[in-house]
Amino acid sequence: MPGRYTRFTAPEPARRHALRAFTRVGAGATAVLVLTSCATLSTGDGPDNVPEDVSTSITDEPVELTLAYTDDPPSTELVEGFTEQYPNVTVELQQTPFTDYVKTVTLAMSSDEPPDIAQYNPGAMRSLIPGRHVLDLEPYVEAYGWEETFPEASLEPLRADEDATRFGTGSLYAVPGALSMLGVFYNRELLEEAGVTRPPGTFAEFEEALDAVDAEGTTAFSVGGLEVGGFQVWNTLLNTFGDDREYRDWVHGAPEASIETDAALEATETLTRWVEAGYVPEGANATSDDDAKAAFTGGESAFLVIGNWAAFELEEAMGEDVGFFLMPGEDPDAAPVTSGSSVSYTVSSATEHPDVAAAFLDYLASPEAALIQSETGFMPVDTDVSLEQDGVWAEINDVYGTAAEQDGIVPFPDFATPGMIDQLTPGVQGLIAGSTEETTFLSDLQSEWERHHG
Amino acid sequence: MASGALSARGTGTGAGRGGGRPSGPPGRSRARAWLYLLPALVVYVGFAIYSAAGTVWFSLLDWDGVRPPTWAGAANYVRVLTDPLLAEAILNGLTLIVFFSFVPIAVGLLLTGLLLGRVRTGMTFFRTVFFLPQVLPLVAVGITWRWLYSDGGMVNRMLESVGLGALTRAWLGDYHFALIALGLIGTWCMSGLCMVLFMSGAQRIDPALNEAAAIDGAGPLRRFWYVTLPGLRREIGIAAVITTIAALASFDLVFVTTNGGPAGQTNVPALLVYRLAFNEGSIGGASALAVVLTLIVIVLVSAIRFLTREDR
Repeated sequence: MPGRYTRFTAPEPARRHALRAFTRVGAGATAVLVLTSCATLSTGDGPDNVPEDVSTSITDEPVELTLAYTDDPPSTELVEGFTEQYPNVTVELQQTPFTDYVKTVTLAMSSDEPPDIAQYNPGAMRSLIPGRHVLDLEPYVEAYGWEETFPEASLEPLRADEDATRFGTGSLYAVPGALSMLGVFYNRELLEEAGVTRPPGTFAEFEEALDAVDAEGTTAFSVGGLEVGGFQVWNTLLNTFGDDREYRDWVHGAPEASIETDAALEATETLTRWVEAGYVPEGANATSDDDAKAAFTGGESAFLVIGNWAAFELEEAMGEDVGFFLMPGEDPDAAPVTSGSSVSYTVSSATEHPDVAAAFLDYLASPEAALIQSETGFMPVDTDVSLEQDGVWAEINDVYGTAAEQDGIVPFPDFATPGMIDQLTPGVQGLIAGSTEETTFLSDLQSEWERHHG
Repeated sequence: MASGALSARGTGTGAGRGGGRPSGPPGRSRARAWLYLLPALVVYVGFAIYSAAGTVWFSLLDWDGVRPPTWAGAANYVRVLTDPLLAEAILNGLTLIVFFSFVPIAVGLLLTGLLLGRVRTGMTFFRTVFFLPQVLPLVAVGITWRWLYSDGGMVNRMLESVGLGALTRAWLGDYHFALIALGLIGTWCMSGLCMVLFMSGAQRIDPALNEAAAIDGAGPLRRFWYVTLPGLRREIGIAAVITTIAALASFDLVFVTTNGGPAGQTNVPALLVYRLAFNEGSIGGASALAVVLTLIVIVLVSAIRFLTREDR
């Protein structure tokens, strides 16, 4: 009988499972603790992670690599493309669902037999970089000239200092294999019904469009406030109003950085104004990201703030009716700024084939990889490749090119600290519910930031 | 064997107290008992005791799960106990006890009273229907209820159809009603469990008691109050313990329906344990919070056991 009840004493299985994992690592960690306390002379707390004698040509011998990842596409497709170019290399793929990825990759990369390559995850890096479990890629940056082949904005968030307390500076630990960014998808048909014939060019025009749609009785936005959809709306407003340097410093943990700025307050107040005006639906806090997507594709709303990773799905459901633009700024000539990230790959410091792993990383910026990246719904790393695309794809590519050229791709706000997402989601829910003051929302974010970086 | 039993009885040691079953000399019998217990014991110690002790040990460390841990002493406890989030989460957990425990026990008793002795055919049907929520995975339950409670969901449509359209809202996203809405899912899940427990308990009550009461002129209500209810003391105790633990330790249901939202209104301690461990990478903090949660559960369960003890 007890077995029957354990199912409902909810977290028991989960907790026990987690505990088992912890204890397993615990045994190892305790051993390390004992060892380090004996060996007082040992200074480093992990293996050496700076490769020597790097080479840009790889062996002809058969090589087998393992690659741990979560995002598919593009991981399998990129690996296939790479092994086509290097037939002597075989890559064993190990996929983990996204919700479990942070913990799995952390444990795997710090184990005795880590995968050679792993999909980058900022949360996991906070322990893996200081533990020297991932390769410092600087020697390869120089050897391959990656600063030329990868867009600078896409490399910046993949740099970190040795303690991984500050990002955007220091050595490079991963390179992007596919790029993504946040923007506004719109329903062309609903906009035309409301008399809006072209995507808004300024923020004032955007608000006019919201008003026009609302006057037609159509909900302006679908917002997945239950998950990340809520703070993504705030995110785009912040990118639009704020200074991108200030914002980058804050996300990367630069000393003295703050989110309590006038621009952030303006962004936050705009969001609450939209809630009061009814542009953001009342039920947003109970809507998951998938539900919001479904509502938008079902023609229930005119706009959806989400990344281009959703483009594939949206285009499939809506065809020609879906379009994409970046939240326009107050000044139509200002350089566009939007949050973006990448599916990136990092190399284990324990790999026996660092040169082969680096060759895979280098392949990601190739024109061949660019084709795969765009076919799987991402922005290609090599932005010079001309792709014959139409519809929403052309709009996305166009916008990304413009933003990337002007260095306008900034990281997402939840990268600022590991616990930031647990401030952002409830915080924006409070704004939508009208229970949280705008200034309180920002000061809560800042105190979480200071707890981690202060 | 027979002589063994005789000698055991003859020496008057406690070994034979089990009720006339043959047993060897006390020493060997005890050893054999341990042998039989061993497999279960190994599993229990290995997976329950050892992990629990591990949690206590981790709660004293500052550890991210990867790098070598450092000694933290009571720092993790200070942190979780001074975090206002925890107080709110515990308060929410206690509120959930009303919906996971009090209401289901009341509903279970009511159903028992209604079904007992009246329904002769189709009892299995009722039992299955009411017990069904216990069999469904909670994640599926949570997702289904998220739909029922949504803007255009069934709950709101029913309200509209009876002219209460003004009340409709996305219940799980409502700042004031989210916790209650969540609690009612728990009520739905637990009521059937309570009913099945009480039904089996009530069927064990000596029918002579009921007959005697009936002869003395007691109506159905009085018989329920003076015969059935006291006879169910033990089952009520068990139901209260199970459901209270479910309320305080609830995780999966909250995780899939509200994830603590909106704005932290449905945060529960187990959710904070998860976030500390897996989002913030603070194994020590998460373990400390888990230990605190366990202590709260133990205190409450002990109180329930004391109140429902048999020999009062």
